[in-house]
Amino acid sequence: MSDRTASIGLRNPVQGIAPAEMLGYAVIAVLVCLPWFVGGSWVFALGVCFANAIGVLSVSMLVRYGGEVSIGHAFFAAIGAYCVAILDTRYGLSLPVSLPLAVVLGVASGVLFAWPSRRLSGIYLAVSTMALALAMPELINNLDSLTGGYEGLYVSQPVLPGVSMSYQRYYIALLALVAVTYALARLRQSRQGLALLLAKSHPAAADAFGTSRVWARVSVMGISGGIAALYGAVLGFAGSTVSPSGFTLWSSIFLLVGSVVGFYGLTLPRALVGGAFLTLVPQLLSASGAWIPVLYGLALLGMILIGHYLPRIREIAGHRKEAAR
Amino acid sequence: MSLPDVLATAARDLFPLIWSGMITGCLYALGALGLVMIFKCSRVVNFSHGNVAGFAAFLIYGFSSGVLLELSWGAAVLLAVVAVIAIAFLTYAIISPLVFENDLTATIATLGVGLIAQGATLLIFGADIVGLDLPVPRFSLSVLGLLVTGYDLTVLAVAVVTIGALFFVIDHTKLGIAFRAISDNPFAAEVCGLNLRSVHLFAWIVAAVLGVVGALLIVPTTFLSVTTVAAFMLQAFAAAVIGGFASLPGSLIGGILIGILMNLFTFYVSPEFSSTFLLGIILVALNIFPNGILERVGGSRV
Repeated sequence: MSDRTASIGLRNPVQGIAPAEMLGYAVIAVLVCLPWFVGGSWVFALGVCFANAIGVLSVSMLVRYGGEVSIGHAFFAAIGAYCVAILDTRYGLSLPVSLPLAVVLGVASGVLFAWPSRRLSGIYLAVSTMALALAMPELINNLDSLTGGYEGLYVSQPVLPGVSMSYQRYYIALLALVAVTYALARLRQSRQGLALLLAKSHPAAADAFGTSRVWARVSVMGISGGIAALYGAVLGFAGSTVSPSGFTLWSSIFLLVGSVVGFYGLTLPRALVGGAFLTLVPQLLSASGAWIPVLYGLALLGMILIGHYLPRIREIAGHRKEAAR
Repeated sequence: MSLPDVLATAARDLFPLIWSGMITGCLYALGALGLVMIFKCSRVVNFSHGNVAGFAAFLIYGFSSGVLLELSWGAAVLLAVVAVIAIAFLTYAIISPLVFENDLTATIATLGVGLIAQGATLLIFGADIVGLDLPVPRFSLSVLGLLVTGYDLTVLAVAVVTIGALFFVIDHTKLGIAFRAISDNPFAAEVCGLNLRSVHLFAWIVAAVLGVVGALLIVPTTFLSVTTVAAFMLQAFAAAVIGGFASLPGSLIGGILIGILMNLFTFYVSPEFSSTFLLGIILVALNIFPNGILERVGGSRV
C-alpha cells in the first residue's frame, strides 16, 4: 500500500500529457456523450455509479494519505445525504445551496471525529469508525421528525429548472466525480499533499519539517470526511431517495470493498471501476439477494489475493525474460 | 415521586442490573478473548468472528431441529464445532500469505470471509428468525434480593471453566509458551525453531470455538437471526478495544465492564441509542487509556 503511492499522479514535464491522464480525458469524453446513446434506466444507474465512485475515492484517500482503513464512512455520507435531503424537502433549497453546506458539514464532522481519535491508529481507529457507522442509523431513526425515520426523504428539487431531471441527475454526478478526481490530483502535487504523505510514511521526518501527526490525522480525516459527505449528497441527488438503510455498517464495508477493487486508486478510471462494482453487482443480482454478500466477499478476497500475487508473478515473468536474452 | 423516592427506586434496580450486566459481560468477554487470541499472535483483527459464530449457531439449529439433520443437541454442537474449526482452518489458509506481509490487508480480507459467512447463512437458512434454547434446568432462586436463574449460573459456570482452561493452557503448556513467545517477539520465536503458522492456527481454532460457545449462550436471551450474533460480537469488539486489543485479562475486564455499562445505560437512559453510547464509551476509554485499561498494571502478563 505504501510504495505504490509515490508513482501515481506525477506529471512528467518532458513528455507533456501522461498516458494515464489521456485515458482520464477519453473516459470523460465518452461519459459526457453516453446519455444520448443508452436508455433511461442506464442513465440513472450510471449517475448512481458516479456517486459511488466518489464514495470509493473518499475511502481510498484515507488509505493513501492516512494509511488507515475506515469501516465507518457511511456516517459522513449520511451527513451529506441528509443535509441535501432535509434542505430540499423542508426548505425547498436545491443542490447549489445544499451541496457546499454538505461538504462543510462533512469536513467538520471528519475533524470532530479525528480529534478524539487523533492518537488512535490501525485496529483502534478501525473499530472506532465501525462504532461510528453503527451509531448512524440509530440517530437517523430517532430524529424522524427531521429525517423521515425509516421511510426516508425524496430529493426532487432541480438544479436548473426546465431541464429533464434524469439528465440533471446524471451530469451533476459526473461533474462532481470529475471535480473530486481533479482536486485529488492537485492535492497530490501540492505542498500540503506531500506533507501529509511524509507524515504517513516518515512521522519523525514530518515532525522535523513542522507537520505534526495530529495535524496530519485531523486534516486527512477532514478531507476524507468532506469527500464522503459529497458522495452522500450526490448519491441523494442522483438516486433521488435518502433513507437510513443506505448508510449502515454494510454500506461502509461495501465502500471499502469498492476501494480494494479499485486498488485504492485516486484516478478517475480506478474510481469508476470501484463505483461500477458497487452499483452494478446489486443490480445484476437483485433477484437473488442472498448472493450479494457472498459475491462481495469473494470479490474482496479475490482482489486482495490478486494484489498480493500479481507483483510476484510479474517479477518471476520479468526474470524469465531477462534470462531468455 | 419525590427525589429520595426516585433515588431509592434507582438504587433498588441497580444491583440486579449490575448482576445481569455481568452475566452478559462474561459472554462479551468470551467473544473478545477470541479476537484477542488471534490479534496477539498474528496482528490480524478477525472481522469475520461474529458472522462465523452466527453461522455455527444456525448450524446447531439446523442439525438439531430437522432442517438439515435430526440429531441430539450434543451431537449437533459437536458437528457445528467441527465445521467451525474447518472454516477457521480454511480462512487461515487463505489469508496466511497476507499475514506476514501486511496485517491491515489481512484484516480487510477477514471482512470478505465475514461477508461470505453471512451470505451462506442467508442462502442455507433464509432470513427467518428462529429460536435456539439451551438444555439447562429452568429454576430461579433469590440470593440477597437478587433473582438468580439457572441460565445465569450456566453462563457463569461455562465462562469460568472455559476462560480458566484457556489461561491454564497459555500459562502451563508448551503450546501456551509458544503462543506467548510468538506474541512477544515473532522473529526470535521463529529463530528458536517455533512454527509460526501452527501456533497461529491454534489461536484461530481456539477463537472459533470460543465464538461458538459465546453465540450458543447469548442466543437463548434473544432469538437467532442472521445478524443476532454479529451484533453481539460488536460489543465484543468494544470490550477488546477497551481492554487493549493485545491483553487477554484486559478483554475479560473490558467485556464485563461493557456488559454492565450497556445494561445500566439501556435501563436508565434509553435503549434506542445503545450503539451511539457504545461509540461514546470507545472514544472516551481510548482517550484516557490509549492502549487499554491494563496498560501499566498487567504489562508482563499474557
